[in-house]
Formats: sequence, structure tokens, C-alpha cells
Amino acid sequence: MSVLRLLSSAARRAPSTFAQQRRGYAEVADKISLSLVLPHQAIFTSKDVVQVNVAAATGDMGILANHVPSIEALRPGMIEVIESGNASKKWFASGGFATVHPGNKLTINVIEAAPLESFSSEAVRANLQEALKVAAGNGSEEDKMEARIEADVYEALQHALGSK
Amino acid sequence: MSSATWRNFFTYNKYAQITARAVRQSLKESERVVAEKRGTTALKYQQWENGVGGPQVHLNPEEVKSVGKSAAV
Repeated sequence: MSVLRLLSSAARRAPSTFAQQRRGYAEVADKISLSLVLPHQAIFTSKDVVQVNVAAATGDMGILANHVPSIEALRPGMIEVIESGNASKKWFASGGFATVHPGNKLTINVIEAAPLESFSSEAVRANLQEALKVAAGNGSEEDKMEARIEADVYEALQHALGSK
Repeated sequence: MSSATWRNFFTYNKYAQITARAVRQSLKESERVVAEKRGTTALKYQQWENGVGGPQVHLNPEEVKSVGKSAAV
């Protein structure tokens, strides 16, 4: 009888949210010190957080405490910060760099970032259509490249807003 | 950075400015006005020769009117 009770309580404790790529067993003791800064605003300044998910140019990555020191360029995409427990906050950033320093510190420098609620999906859709039009048109190669970069940003924004 | 061929045309700085501008243009109306101001830059320069300064040239003439008091020149 006690074995059954042990099994059922263990099943209740293990969460089934692995699709969100979050460690879910014991409460995390180690946190990483995060500084998420923009040129005009400091969103976090040396705040202890559990996990940070960033969209690096080489692929999406989740950064936990005691990560190996690394420098990653970010593509325009989401930054998700999990401070404790299951609460997470999301921002969409225009790109920048995430640097893990020795000594368990993470610094993310981006130029523009805003919480997902600050974006308007109609504006994104209109901007994307215009950018695709310029990218497929017959302007200079530079203008078309610029439009393609912008279209990539808008598509990433749409993806982020759609999977809120 | 999916189409990394922008390297043929732009520096990383220019690329970052383009993506930042795209993000600013996608904000909701109320926040967009504040954000657009962050994207404006103004530059003026003056050529000096033999101790005499030439004319001051604004690089972005149409945005100069919105720039406030400049440092003493």
C-alpha cells in the first residue's frame, strides 16, 4: 500500500511540461545573475534568475546557472526569463549579444526589446507585406537586402506573437 | 540572421540598426512615438583650415529642427 502511495505522489510531483524546456524536478538552488540591458533602459541589473532562453544565431538555447563562459550573437527573437518557480516573462529583442562570464554571470545586450504586449499584430502584418514587396521588387541590391532583413524580423515577431 | 548574405552590403552596426528600426515600427501606437525618437540621429560637422572654420554642415537637415539646444560651439 505504501509503495502505491509513494508512486502516486512521485507522479504528482513530476510535472509534464517538458515541451517548455524547463527543468522541473527539485526546486533549483543555483541561480545565474542576469543583466539584460538596452542602450536606453536596464531591464534587469544583476538579478538572480533560474533560466534564460535566448534565440542565438546558432540556434535557440537555454542558459542555466554555472553555464560555460560563451559569447553568442542573438537573432531577432524572444528572450524568456524564468525568475523562480514557473513564472516567466518574455520580451522580443531586435538582436544583440548574450555573454556568459566566468563567475556565473550573464549579460544580454540588445538594442531594442519590448514585452510581447507592446506589439501590434496589425502593424507587424502591414510592415511584413511592405517589406516583402520591396524585397521582391526592382530596387538596388542594398534596398532589397534591407527589406529582407526587416522581413525576417517581422516574421520572427509574428511567430512570437502567435505562440504567446 | 537567416540570410547572412547581408554581410556583403552592411556592417554589423548597420544590420543592428535595421533590425532595431523594424522592431520600433512594430510597436503599439502609444509606445511607437517614444521609440521613434530613439532612432533619430543628427550630425553636423565643420571643416577648419588655417585657423578659420568653414560652414557648418548638417548631415540630416530635415531632422535638425526637432533637435533641442546643442552644446556651446
